[in-house]
Amino acid sequence: MSVETLRKEGVKTLTIAVAGNPNSGKSTLINALAGTRLQVGNWPGVTVEKKEAWLSHEDWQLRLVDLPGTYSLSPYSQEELIARDFLIKERPDVVIDVVDATNLERNLYLTMQLLELGIPVVLALNIYDEAQAKGYQIDTKAMQEMLGAPVVPTVATKGQGLKELLEAALRAALKPQRPPSYGQDVEEALEGVLKKLSQERPELLAAYPSRWLALKLLEADGEVLRETGLTADFAHPAVEHLRQAHGEDIEAFMAELRYGLAAGLTREVLRKTRAAKTDLTERIDRIVLNRFLGIPIFLAAMWVVFKLTFDVSTPFVDWVDAATAGPLRRWTEAFLGLLGAPAWTVSLAVDGVIGGVGFVLVFVPVIFAMMFFITFLEGSGYMARAAFVMDRAMHSMGLHGKSFIPMLLGFGCNVPAIYATRTLESPRDKALTAVLVPLMSCGARLPVYVLFVGAFFPQSPGTVLWSLYVLGIAMAVLVGVVFKRTLFRGQAPLFIMELPPYRMPSMRSLLIHTWEKGKHFLLKAGTYILAVSVLVWFMLNMPWGVQSTKDSYLGKMGQALAPALKPLGFGTWEAASSLLTGIIAKEIVVGTMGEIYAAQAQESEEGPRPTFLEDLKELALGFAQAARDAGANVVSTVGIASLQAEEEGQEGLREAVRSTFSPLSAYAFMAFVLLYMPCVVVAIAMRHEFGTWKWFGLAFLYQTVLAWSVALIIYQGGRALGL
Amino acid sequence: MSLADAVWLLLIGAATVYLLYRSLWKKRGHCHGCGGSCDTKKHP
Repeated sequence: MSVETLRKEGVKTLTIAVAGNPNSGKSTLINALAGTRLQVGNWPGVTVEKKEAWLSHEDWQLRLVDLPGTYSLSPYSQEELIARDFLIKERPDVVIDVVDATNLERNLYLTMQLLELGIPVVLALNIYDEAQAKGYQIDTKAMQEMLGAPVVPTVATKGQGLKELLEAALRAALKPQRPPSYGQDVEEALEGVLKKLSQERPELLAAYPSRWLALKLLEADGEVLRETGLTADFAHPAVEHLRQAHGEDIEAFMAELRYGLAAGLTREVLRKTRAAKTDLTERIDRIVLNRFLGIPIFLAAMWVVFKLTFDVSTPFVDWVDAATAGPLRRWTEAFLGLLGAPAWTVSLAVDGVIGGVGFVLVFVPVIFAMMFFITFLEGSGYMARAAFVMDRAMHSMGLHGKSFIPMLLGFGCNVPAIYATRTLESPRDKALTAVLVPLMSCGARLPVYVLFVGAFFPQSPGTVLWSLYVLGIAMAVLVGVVFKRTLFRGQAPLFIMELPPYRMPSMRSLLIHTWEKGKHFLLKAGTYILAVSVLVWFMLNMPWGVQSTKDSYLGKMGQALAPALKPLGFGTWEAASSLLTGIIAKEIVVGTMGEIYAAQAQESEEGPRPTFLEDLKELALGFAQAARDAGANVVSTVGIASLQAEEEGQEGLREAVRSTFSPLSAYAFMAFVLLYMPCVVVAIAMRHEFGTWKWFGLAFLYQTVLAWSVALIIYQGGRALGL
Repeated sequence: MSLADAVWLLLIGAATVYLLYRSLWKKRGHCHGCGGSCDTKKHP
């Protein structure tokens, strides 16, 4: 049945699956086609589940399904299974196979497997511009004839070739294509299996693509045998002949045949017009992947990220802080006063909501700045190198460098990092990586660091922040080594790591992905951080009419926990209460402190009140000044994070923490916040991903013990050294 | 505190607990590692 027939029958919807190797640009292609914002990164494994986008083309509604990147359709990892299950069970009308034109031979292996499915395939020869720049000439016409499938050169990042690709996909949809031929022996064996199937299990031929099913039975594919209820003996007579002719392992034999076809095809269609010269990627890699320089360069890159994060964001942090602590607070009070609201509602709005949520929002510029620089590193291809240079350290804890990718994602938020563990093949690796991910310092912990670094270490904020991130990584390696010898015994799997070429990410892509990463902090602020801030206000004011917050329910809970924290240097009820509420989300630690210290901050603010217009003018001028300061900080060679000079806004809370912490106990507190139990959302993600609370339970236990021990060593060790 | 105040407090408390349950448990913290697919346009 052709598209024209479908059109006559009034069918207006087509499903197009987009498949391809990791990092071949599938998500970029869908984003360019459908205007969606699927996450894109210049590293393999960004898409770990199938995602959809809808697109109208002429009078067609096209459902584009972005499948996880896979090198093959063998059932050895979760993303391969997700991709394969979708193609077999949902039978899309056409598959767009996104092929990296700079890496033709490796990508064509998957193409061969896609062609086996009996679903029409269209090849998008993507990253075509880079292939041309490398001097590659690809004879697409010959390729098309040899494969029996349309081939369209595309450059998804620039939107080139996409219209032609869609048209080719529509023309190809539902039209049968010839499958690759694997030679007489295999074809005869397939015929034998198909004949047996039609006699003994004809229903299976209707449920699966028949040739593909026969191939899988020849290969004794475990998943297919399990699903169909057949045994490996089913294909016995046909397999026996193949075994006699080609050796025992039919699966390996079939893989060789596919590789052979891919290699042969590549040789036929690819011409390299100039001798391969050392390109930029190779030159950079010689340095950043150097055995001795790799890790120092990674640490230096992270330091630069933190330094820039502070330099860019601090003026804006001060501006948002001044806006929430001043005008917003005053306007809310005035507005509620106009409505004649009772005093407790003013307190709830000002001390609870603005004191709690507002104080978290103050740090949004830091979070967005850090997400921007991390997105830049991801998009440039450097993050894949970071995983590569960490490979040796990861092997010491029985993991592969591939496990470091979910951990790096954890710098943004631990939750997607937990989900990203599904790119790992073995359940052991997934579980071990997931229990180590919460040690990666996520963006939610930044507000705590920024507050304390600003109060105690204003001279070197970037370095102190960097030391905390390095502490997190070091603890992950240490705990991993211990777990490898106890709970997670086993060897690290062997796996080839892909190193994508370096690319300069476009500003548009950087801004979109920074927003995608950062926006959930805003969502959190509007939902559960708001809810917790209100609950904290209740707990600080209950029993109703309580005179001192110390005697409130939250104060009592804090007092009960405080003795356990005393050896760590922060055994106050305020710190203990903040750590308790921070279990919901780590940024709530500062939100709670903001509420607890709100009264003191308010007292220090007494004085003549500016008018509404004066407030507006101050806000506008303050923003312009912040933008100027941020620019000056970035261009300054020495860099001046202006945390030390602020005598306004957050100063109330900084002053309050200065009165209860010393620099040493402040650092111990930050280390405790870094390491103590994962937040509730991470707990839910672990339960969702693994179907059990077991791994969260393990993370909860070991992290609590680790956080307490490390904070104790820092504080008591520092005191012993006279700090 | 008047009865009206008490009722308001109770309502706010209940709404807060519901918001917490909805955003944390039902929406899994609005942070599913969805990679932006949450924004995918739904077909009519």
